[in-house]
Amino acid sequence: MTAPLDIRPSRSRLNLHRLGEQFLSWLKGLIPPAIAILVFLVIWQLFTMSPDANLPSPIRTVSETWELIVNPFFNYGGTDKGLFWQILTSLQRVALGFSLAAIVGVALGILVGTSRVMYQALDPIFQVLRTVPPLAWLPISLAAFQQANPSAIFVIFITAIWPIIINTTEGVRQIPQDYNNVARVLQLSKPKYFFKVLFPATVPYIFTGLRIGIGLSWLAIVAAEMLIGGVGIGFFIWDAWNSSRISDIIIAIVYVGLVGLLLDRLIVFASNLVLSEEQQS
Amino acid sequence: MAVFVEVDHVDRVFPLAGGGEYIALKNIDLQIHKGEFVSLVGHSGCGKSTLLNIMAGLDQPSAGGIVLEGRQVTEPGPDRMVVFQNYSLLPWLTVRQNIALAVDEVMQKHPKAVRDRIVEHHIDLVGLKRAADKRPGQLSGGMKQRVAIARALAIRPKLLLLDEPFGALDALTRGGLQERLMQICQEHEVTCVMVTHDVDEALLLSDRIVLMTNGPEAHIGQIVDVPFSRPRERMEVVKHPNYYSLRNEIVYFLNQQKRAKLHKAKPVVAVAANGLEKVNLELGFIPLVDCAPLIVAKEKGLFDAYGLSQVTLNREPSWNAIADGVTSGRLDAAIMVAGMPLGITLGYGNQRPQPMVSALTLSRNGNAITFNRRLYDAGVRSLADFKAAIDRRPDQVHTLAAVHPTSMHNLLLRYWLASGGIDPDRDVSVTVIPPAQMVSNLKAGTIDGYCVGEPWNARAVQEGLGVVMAIDNEIWPGHIEKVLGVTEAWANQYPKTHIALVKALLEACEYCDDRRNREEIAEILARPEYIGADEVLIRQGFLDPYDRGDGREPTQVLNYVQFFTGKANYPDVTEAVWMMTQMARWGITPFPRNWLEVAERVKRADIFGRAARELGLLDIGRDRHSIQLFDGIPFDPDHPLEYLNSLSIKRDLRVEEIVLDPLNV
Repeated sequence: MTAPLDIRPSRSRLNLHRLGEQFLSWLKGLIPPAIAILVFLVIWQLFTMSPDANLPSPIRTVSETWELIVNPFFNYGGTDKGLFWQILTSLQRVALGFSLAAIVGVALGILVGTSRVMYQALDPIFQVLRTVPPLAWLPISLAAFQQANPSAIFVIFITAIWPIIINTTEGVRQIPQDYNNVARVLQLSKPKYFFKVLFPATVPYIFTGLRIGIGLSWLAIVAAEMLIGGVGIGFFIWDAWNSSRISDIIIAIVYVGLVGLLLDRLIVFASNLVLSEEQQS
Repeated sequence: MAVFVEVDHVDRVFPLAGGGEYIALKNIDLQIHKGEFVSLVGHSGCGKSTLLNIMAGLDQPSAGGIVLEGRQVTEPGPDRMVVFQNYSLLPWLTVRQNIALAVDEVMQKHPKAVRDRIVEHHIDLVGLKRAADKRPGQLSGGMKQRVAIARALAIRPKLLLLDEPFGALDALTRGGLQERLMQICQEHEVTCVMVTHDVDEALLLSDRIVLMTNGPEAHIGQIVDVPFSRPRERMEVVKHPNYYSLRNEIVYFLNQQKRAKLHKAKPVVAVAANGLEKVNLELGFIPLVDCAPLIVAKEKGLFDAYGLSQVTLNREPSWNAIADGVTSGRLDAAIMVAGMPLGITLGYGNQRPQPMVSALTLSRNGNAITFNRRLYDAGVRSLADFKAAIDRRPDQVHTLAAVHPTSMHNLLLRYWLASGGIDPDRDVSVTVIPPAQMVSNLKAGTIDGYCVGEPWNARAVQEGLGVVMAIDNEIWPGHIEKVLGVTEAWANQYPKTHIALVKALLEACEYCDDRRNREEIAEILARPEYIGADEVLIRQGFLDPYDRGDGREPTQVLNYVQFFTGKANYPDVTEAVWMMTQMARWGITPFPRNWLEVAERVKRADIFGRAARELGLLDIGRDRHSIQLFDGIPFDPDHPLEYLNSLSIKRDLRVEEIVLDPLNV
């Protein structure tokens, strides 16, 4: 063949000059959100300046919670722990519940996606159950497990599993007909079809499900912990409300948001590692 | 050659959401030989990809089946590998892994080392060594398609199915890949079926091109044989004398399908008026001097005089288009070459026989055989000289052209050559080219001569390209030339209209043969909407002395073209039998065992007689007679088979019973 090979240059070529430029443009990108945050803080300050305001101003919030911010690692026993430990405990619960949900969800999703009968039988059930709010599961799980911690984990599991199942199912059903045709023409064996065609083709959908799932589990854990008590960022907020430490609540909310964002980015990062170039959206 | 793949009366019906059904394919019947390259061409949505999928086993026919080497195809398998339109490479595997996936699965009985060698060999074959470890996402479209082709070839399929393989590629890449594919297929004798939109691609690659009609109920409209020899080179193919006529034929078919689509949107209804069943007639003609009766009838208001008040004349690009137009119902009637109604009735060119009727002969004589001036300058002055020239240089193949297999041009040219001891199929090559393309092909040197009507001989003479070797008047004076042709179904449906049409044209023929009218007719014919040629050329032979281009003084030829005199218009059964013997002689049609029945069914003397009586034209009928051409061999219409057997130069004779009224089972 005489046509030239026009292979794209590989992306991982190190170039200091280019890196510097990239860093600069990244910095420039930070300016608008920084301004937005500043404006928000100023407005907040203006609204809460009067002495009889119900909510603390940003400056008061920071000064009141300085101890929590600078020292997240203290541990005075019981539930009186630094924010790091509170969040870590919550994360452990999420990790356990979410991992279980991912394993069971992907397996179920592939099963339902490959079998028309299973799909017809189970899809309506999934569609109903996925709309149930996470906290509605809590009494049932408390009744079943009789303990706070497994119940919380179960709530995470049951919250995260639906988007994973549904997306995996969809992924299997959306495998391009062409790939299936290739497999049919080549008469690929079942295991080979699964590992070479079905699973790789479904991976992008699985990651979408995981991303939605992790977001939902983080939402659910905060709510669940408020009810079951013990160590955890949810109960920390509830406890602060009971002791009228409004500033603590605000700072905990900021932490919850940041951790949620980090979890989401983590899944995106993992999917970028796994997926080949043209599968990435 | 044994049939390799048989598509046996395949139907494909899709159920519709609303409850009805959509018939995508109807009665597709196709035989493919081993090593053959067949293209499926048609408009989008004509079901060609569906057919390909059925052949692959990816889709199941609703009726009929696919037989590959005697075994029915029921499921997809690696013996029928598909190259998909969008490559269908797995994006998470590298080039090598993609090919290896196929090879490892299909060739499990070979050891790993052998399989790896096969993979590497095929990566080399398509020139992708440097990209072997890239993933498809890092490749261009052309490279991806090369991988797909390599993957398909690597598993040694018996049948390679290609679904618009080059559709998404730029022209340059496409050209390179086409040549590559052609080369590989030739080297490995792969049997291929390709779906394509690209007429040039189909012509370059295929042995046969299957033209599909539009859906619903898409079926095979026409099969075009591509006669170019292999191995092929793109430039040689383009220069082949038949290239543009084949191309035109296919493009014409496709345009026709497009028009038919619009046609279907507003179906033409027969407008009954003036006591006739249908007065809105679509008539077809080819721009030639002998189409004069049709044009005169229109221009002089003769159609209107007999009640045919809405006649449209359609200028058609080739005689094939005329045949197709009349049999498909697009045209009500047309001026046809003399053998065409018989040829269609007998099913020439492996087409389904369809009974035709010809109740009127429109013209006699008017053709000439023109040779390239080069041959004349090299001393070829007569048939004997030509024979001597051929014997001197047997390595040189002379190509001569006629306008249609069933035309008198073809039959007379062949007769003339054979009478001089030249076998028209073995010693020279006789090909089919539409009249208007003769001169340009002669000029390009792709043909050495032709037999055609005017003004195309006069044109070659005028341009100094050719010399007239023989006028058909010298071969068979007063031979049948052009006829009126309709389908038998049409004639039965509109009998009064048919008679009115015959009357109008018969009167026009009489008008054309009055010398006093010919000045005026020559002027009308020269108009751009009819022949669109220089009036001087049209007058050659028609009015003026005929210049043969051999340096001699132009001479007046009596009855160079004849429309009425000498009982010209009678549908002559004897001539019909003679034409059937000649078509059988050259293998164009089988010879009907029921030859008299066929001849009398086509040549409807009763309709002619009635029209003539109503016009008050008496005594223009002909009696049975024997025919004698310039060589003096008599033809007795009562013993056509003995006549055929007595001829020395001929093809294998097929004698068959032609069933004109198939039993409705």
